[in-house]
Amino acid sequence: MSSNAVEQSAQATGTTARLRLANGPGPLARPVLCRVVSMALTRADWPIDRLDDALLACDALCAHAPGYTSDGTLTFDVNACDGTLELRLRDLRTDGAAALVRDARLPGVGNVLEHVAERVLIEPDGQSSSSQLVLVIRSG
Amino acid sequence: MRPDIELALAARAENIAIVRHALGGLGDALAIPPHKLDDIRIAVSEACANVVLHAYPPGSDGQMVLAVTADAGRLIVSVRDWGQGIRPRPDSPGLGLGLSMIAALAEEVQLGHDSEQHTEVRMTFSLNGSGEHVATGQRASTGEHAATSER
Repeated sequence: MSSNAVEQSAQATGTTARLRLANGPGPLARPVLCRVVSMALTRADWPIDRLDDALLACDALCAHAPGYTSDGTLTFDVNACDGTLELRLRDLRTDGAAALVRDARLPGVGNVLEHVAERVLIEPDGQSSSSQLVLVIRSG
Repeated sequence: MRPDIELALAARAENIAIVRHALGGLGDALAIPPHKLDDIRIAVSEACANVVLHAYPPGSDGQMVLAVTADAGRLIVSVRDWGQGIRPRPDSPGLGLGLSMIAALAEEVQLGHDSEQHTEVRMTFSLNGSGEHVATGQRASTGEHAATSER
């Protein structure tokens, strides 16, 4: 990780973290991401039901994201600030972010990510052909 | 090779708790025995506390990065910063036990700089049982580390 990337990842106030998982990140993604997010939201005094919702979104991302990475690496930017969690998943294949949203649809439930998050955004990832998925989740 | 996990955070005391929790998640995923995970948490917390207390001038907002690689029954954990390096600190606010504690808990400790000239404390933990404890200031494989004093 370059020093610039790290500096950019932590410029905002609140809790800002960048978590990068490589070398077959599937088994490590969920337990580590959920711990980081839960600690950040606990410190921000989130109600338990919304914290649980946020962890559900993390579970949904981690379950499918390893299949859509552009280079085998998962990069999560976690920014918890002022009652808002922004969870940004980088370095996905061109169609990876959209596919990840599609995979979060459950029969009889609907789309978990869209239920939990106030906003679900699919964006290009910089100058590359990668995509990124952004979830914005509010505490109330 | 890239580490399995890199976690970058602002070098603030409250973020050490996040590092500890992330290690807990890693312990779950890798089925690390609880007593070994406790050792790892304590040693890594000490390394992070060193960054928070000593790496950056007061009032500046520097970074710390935790990098973890699991390899053949070992866990290699590095704590990096972009600060002023590891130097003697007669006016240190701490007890000065941090590096001694790390050396006691890890099988191997290396102090110095990584390939990008970040200050780095690199700890190796055996996941298979007790191993020999070796403290060194020289990374044998690359020669990148220089012998340094305790912060």
